[in-house]
Order: sequence, then C-alpha cells, then structure tokens
Amino acid sequence: MRALITGATSGIGLKLAHRLAPTHELLLTGRRPADEVSALLPVPSAYAVADQSDPESVVASIGDKMTKLGWDRLDLAVLNAGAGSVGDPVTETTEAARLVLDTNASTPIRLAHFLFPALTAAAGKLVLIGSVAHRGAPNFATYAASKAALHGFGRALEQEWRGRVSVIVIHPGPTASGMHEKAGYSAGKAERLFIPADAMAAMIADLAKGQGGIFTASYARYLLRGYWARRR
Amino acid sequence: MSEERILITGGSSGLGRAIAGWFAERGASVVSVDLFAANEPAPNLVHIECDLSSRQAVDRALPAILAAGPYRWVFLNAGASATGPFEALPPETIGKLIRLNAETPVLLASTLMREQAISGGICIVSSLSHFTGYPGAATYAASKDAVAVYAKSVRKPFARAGVSVTLACPGPLRTGHAARHAPEGADASRRMLPQQAAEAIIAATQKGRKLAIPGSGPKLFALAGRIAPKLVTQQMRKLILEKLDKPVW
Repeated sequence: MRALITGATSGIGLKLAHRLAPTHELLLTGRRPADEVSALLPVPSAYAVADQSDPESVVASIGDKMTKLGWDRLDLAVLNAGAGSVGDPVTETTEAARLVLDTNASTPIRLAHFLFPALTAAAGKLVLIGSVAHRGAPNFATYAASKAALHGFGRALEQEWRGRVSVIVIHPGPTASGMHEKAGYSAGKAERLFIPADAMAAMIADLAKGQGGIFTASYARYLLRGYWARRR
Repeated sequence: MSEERILITGGSSGLGRAIAGWFAERGASVVSVDLFAANEPAPNLVHIECDLSSRQAVDRALPAILAAGPYRWVFLNAGASATGPFEALPPETIGKLIRLNAETPVLLASTLMREQAISGGICIVSSLSHFTGYPGAATYAASKDAVAVYAKSVRKPFARAGVSVTLACPGPLRTGHAARHAPEGADASRRMLPQQAAEAIIAATQKGRKLAIPGSGPKLFALAGRIAPKLVTQQMRKLILEKLDKPVW
C-alpha cells in the first residue's frame, strides 16, 4: 500500500505518518529541507519538499518524486497540510489572506486534480483534512472560508468520483497539534479540551479505512469511541 | 437616492448588470468593476476595468476603487463557473476560479473595511450550491462555499464597525452564465429573471438581512439541502452532472 501525506513534518500529519508506516510505503511532504526533518520521520519513508503556498511547485515536486519512486499507482492521499492566522478580519493583510487560501484550498484542489490518474489506477482513497471551523468563525474568517472550500469541493467530488476513487472529508475538532500557536492563538484553559494529535491521527486513520463521505472528528467521537484510552 | 454611491463587481452582465441598472435608474452613482464596460453608458455610471481573477490586476485596480468611494452599498457579485468532470478541467482554471470567486471578494471586503470606505452594507453573492452541493462543478462549489462562509464569519466583526453583511445565494437565473453551464435541453423559462433576483437581493441588503435566497423554489431547495445534505447532493448529481453533455470552462 502506498500513501502520500502532505504536511507530515509536524502535528497531525507527523503522527499519522508514524501510524501508517508499518503498513504503507510513504511519501511525505513538508516545507523544511530533508536534512532538517529526517530525524523526525519514520524509516523508511520518502520525502519531498513542497511549499504548500505555491500550488504549481507542490504539484511539480510531488510529481517528480513519484516518478523517481516509480509510483504510477497511489492507494491513499491524505491532503493534510494547512495554515491559519487569527485576528480581526478587518486588519487581515492581503498577503495573509492569499497565503491561507492558496495553502488550504487551491493547493489541495490542484493536487487532487493531479493525483486523479494514480488514485484511479489503484481504486484509491483521497482524504481531505478540513476543520470544524468550515461553518464559519469570526476570528479566523479566511481560514474558515478556505476550509469551507475543501468541504464544498469534497462534497461534490465524492459524488463525481464515486466507484472510482473514494473521497473522504474529515473535519478535525480542536487538536493539540501546535497549529494554534503557529497561527498566533492561545487557547488558555480551553486547551485542556484539545484532542491529542496522536488520537486525532488514529481517528483519521480509522476513517480513512471506511467509505467516502464527510466526517467530523470531534471531541465527542474521541470520548465515545474510546480513543482517549488507546495507547499506541 | 441621488446622494448614494454603490460599488458592484461584475456590473456589466447578468445579475450584476440588473443590480447596477436598478440603482442607476433611481439616480444613484454606480461604480462597476468588470472586464468590459456594459453596452449602454450612463452619466452616473463609472466603469473600472479589471480582470478580477488576476492578482496583479486586482492590486492595480484597488487604489482606483478606493478613490471612487466611499460607498453606501457594496455588491461583491462577479463570478464565473466551470462545469464538467473535475479531472477534465484545465488545471489553471482551479486557481482562477478560487481567486475570482473567493479571494478577490475577501480582499475587497477587508480592504474597503480597513479604509472605512463603506457606510451601509456589503452583499456577498455566493450560490444556491452552498446549500445543495454541486457535482459537475466541484471547483466552483468550493469557491462559492468559501465566500459564503467568509460572509457568515465577518457578519459580527463588520457589524462592530456599523457595516451589515448580507449573503446572497441565488439559484439559476435567466442569464448567459446559467445558459452556458446548464445541461442541454434545460428549460430556461423556469429560471428567474435577473431583475427579480436583483430586487430581492437589494431589498435584503438595504435591510441588513443575513441571507437572501431569491424565489420560493430556490428557498425550498436550500431548506431541503439543510435537512438532508447528502440526499440533495445526490439529486444534484442526477439533475446536473449526469446530464452535462459538454464541459464548459
């Protein structure tokens, strides 16, 4: 089984890479150079530098690596990489808005387009990592918009690709992934109710085994399905 | 009304032209940003030429758009679709649609707010597909969901500055846009006239309403989509995707 995970050098993506490593050949991507991240990543795994904010360069970089690996079939693509920034939408800069929309919307949609032949050849699965914020959020309006784009895209594509490629959209609830700090947000005491990144990766891995559709990886699912009690 | 100035993107055709016309007839000043000027020039209509899907063009046009303000009402209406199997879409169309339908309205809204260039309200035009899903136009659906959720998200923060935000989700209208992207043989007479949709959207914007869905058919469809999203998207697949005879982008 071959799997691609974008944004696999930290947070949920890194935990998911380790979780899938025993059963999958992995191609992982991140922004940082290979020598900076090689100690973090599972062995063996292939790595491609892909700056998610530039859709065309991401496609070129992943395409090159897949050719080098001889991968013309792909069983699983988890498009997980994402970025966000927090603040009043009135003061959001043009650069910040463009970065978030490119990273979270244009790049994964462009990648889904590029990966279609390889995914079809393996009757594979496309997993899009959204966010529970996809319904709207006053303090990160553009981030919410970018995740809504993935939701609307996945909702349509799941119907279009049915029977060829399973399309699974997963909206994680607040997760202790380090992303909030990067986005300039401190959750304070609410952080105690964040889902650990490893438990979120376990939920995603389980959902990715199932049928196409749209799922919320919520705190309730974490509690009720016993993810809190599991140890790797 | 003669004191009023409005800004509209995509004011040269379809719904945008109907909204621009409604205000122009009532003596308001209309500033329209579009690729091409409308056919009939009017003394109270200013045209700013801009390809709203291009970052360079938007960056160049922004100073002119701000200089032509301030505005009582702003209608972020310009948009385009692409229909056909997603995998057959030319890849460059993806970025273009996301920029035109989502990024540019986000940037215009935040820039106009930051420059305090709006006194009344903003109307953001999304699509009925926000409620129904849209197999056969996955990228368009993505961009329209993005802009709809942006509108919902900024309603409170913008209200603190005294500016209302109205989300408009029109269904298919009797416009060139709908005719281009509808399946062969679809009955155009069942689509709403753009003038009717414009009136409903303008009224909702002026009242500061949260949501405008012109027409009772589209209202019902939106309700069905809220109650049973998966079922309605499946219906959309049968109604549209399976009947599309040719890709259009």
